[in-house]
Amino acid sequence: MSKSNDGNKPISATKFMQELRRYQKGSVSRRHFLGVTGLGTAMAVMGTAVPSLWSGKAQAFGDLGDRLIFSTWPNYHDQANLDEFTAMTGVNIQVNAFGSNEEMLAKLQAGGTGWDVFVPTNYTISNYVALDLIQELDLSRLPNYDGAANNAKFAGPATVNGKVYCVPKNWGTTGFIFNSKKIKSGPKSWKDFFDVTMGAGSGHTIVHDYQLTTIGGALCALGYSFNSIDAKELAEAEALLVKSKPHLFAITSDYQPGMRSGDAWMSICWNGDGTQLKNDIPEMDYVIATDGGEIWSDFYAIPKDAPHLDAAYAFINFMQDPYIQAREAAVHGYAPTDSRAIALQPDSLGSDPILHPAADLMNGLEFGAAQTLTDPIRAEVMARFKSA
Amino acid sequence: MKVSNKSNRWLTAALLAPTSVWFVLMLILPLIVILVFSFGERAAVGGYAGGFTLEQYANLPSRLKAFQNTMTIAPAGTLLSLLVAYPLAYYLALRVDRKYKLILLVLVIVPFWTSLLVRTYAWIFILGGRGIPSLLELIGIEGVRLINTPGAVLVGIVYGYLPLMVFPIFVSLEKLDKSLLEASSDLGGSPLKTFMQITIPLSMPGVATGCMLVFILLMGEFLIPAFLGGGKVFFIGNALVDLFLQSRNWPFGAAVSVTLVVIMLITVSLYMRMTLRSNTGRDESLM
Repeated sequence: MSKSNDGNKPISATKFMQELRRYQKGSVSRRHFLGVTGLGTAMAVMGTAVPSLWSGKAQAFGDLGDRLIFSTWPNYHDQANLDEFTAMTGVNIQVNAFGSNEEMLAKLQAGGTGWDVFVPTNYTISNYVALDLIQELDLSRLPNYDGAANNAKFAGPATVNGKVYCVPKNWGTTGFIFNSKKIKSGPKSWKDFFDVTMGAGSGHTIVHDYQLTTIGGALCALGYSFNSIDAKELAEAEALLVKSKPHLFAITSDYQPGMRSGDAWMSICWNGDGTQLKNDIPEMDYVIATDGGEIWSDFYAIPKDAPHLDAAYAFINFMQDPYIQAREAAVHGYAPTDSRAIALQPDSLGSDPILHPAADLMNGLEFGAAQTLTDPIRAEVMARFKSA
Repeated sequence: MKVSNKSNRWLTAALLAPTSVWFVLMLILPLIVILVFSFGERAAVGGYAGGFTLEQYANLPSRLKAFQNTMTIAPAGTLLSLLVAYPLAYYLALRVDRKYKLILLVLVIVPFWTSLLVRTYAWIFILGGRGIPSLLELIGIEGVRLINTPGAVLVGIVYGYLPLMVFPIFVSLEKLDKSLLEASSDLGGSPLKTFMQITIPLSMPGVATGCMLVFILLMGEFLIPAFLGGGKVFFIGNALVDLFLQSRNWPFGAAVSVTLVVIMLITVSLYMRMTLRSNTGRDESLM
């Protein structure tokens, strides 16, 4: 979902392009261009790559080809930024939106995806490395990336066995969202979530079509760890899910349409979707559950067999620009991991409780674990719940 | 004589070769792979890990509900499509003015120009809370839930598969000998009797073909139940997508596929035997 750019962001995409064109035509000085677009700071990071960067498309980027295949999550980019990359480099971006990390893993395992860049979540990376599906990054080709500016808590999983396989994109939480006009009881925990589902909100709840979050939520409601792979605890979680199934509106990771149409009153929710929904419908309340949940970070990575490697590096580098990151965040509603980008966020977003929740709210949250994703029992529990 | 026979045989073989290669590479070999996988085990992080076990087949009852859903909704959807398609085909073949016929036929095909995915997604909004239910609220009928029900899936099926049913029936009605209808009425047959005893029997080959096309495709359907059933109306096709793309249990997915293929073979051969028997004596072929 792309929304128009306006208001209190550093610079809009259109404005940026206008300035870039003016600079390219020689109407304004380089100093003016860097000042207006805010690229000045970015330049310092880009170092020597810069002088040639703005002197014309072909020279600056070399021949990157005309195509880049990019696999990511729904509602996770500002289309204007992708268009801008295409305008600057001539590389057209084909975006595939996925519903779960398992689906991405399945596609990569099967091979021949043709993907150049994809967006894995923290707990998948060690699996990808073990399966030899992603490549170590040459950080010298990503001058916009600044390791020191990234919060180690979120950036950590990028490094496996001392090698860097990806660069961070955003971080966030997994909680739930409810429509406070329809659900008056103000649920605060996963236990409340399932109680309301089987009570006052019967027929109006959505759970994800994703074992990690759906089973994780059920486990938390029962007082267990979000990451549990204990057979007995998973059996209890399965029983809870199967019992609640007749009361569900849907099992889908595409929950915004249902929440927006008013059919669904409550849904498991990633916080960026929470921001997007809240922006449009004020009665939507995003909740970080008191009995646990997930905290996560996403990354940019390059598959082992990426066909357009140069374009892949150019694209990741482009997306690492702090200004681009800030502009992305203004649209998708997830917090950047990069302090340079956070500093550029307008105050309203920098202090937004959904994007940057208070530390004590996040005490109970867990990072998903690698074995949580690949555990065969969890996979089978989810599949049985869906076909129950 | 002998020589030309021989060269004929070579020619036949040469002509059949491309089809045979295609058939073996694209159908037989993949089926063998699926069969072999179905006796294997799931690898630690998903996929296939070899071995020989009957475990996957023993686990089939855990997907009973998906088989049941498919085996009830697929025939129901086929029947419903037939009931909607027959009058339309009848009208197109026998009633409509010649000059409009072509344009109306094209209109039946036009939806095929857009992806089924997009068209089915549109139904989410038509059947969702702000669609038909909110219209019903205007006339005082409240609390109607359409989306994510078996009914919604049936609507999607009829919508998506209608052209596949209309065309075979249209073709057999189109070539129906009109003089038979005149003869029937000359001999005192009422319109209803003529329809029941002449039109319907003569359109049976089209009906049989249409039903077969729709039914076979429906047995593997996953998109419509996923979108309009909200993951709650679960077909065997959805179970398969899940097993290959989510839980990455290829061996179990293969076992479910093999079972589905066997069920289809049995159902379709029973069906063909039935329709062939009722068609004996007529020279029209089934397909």
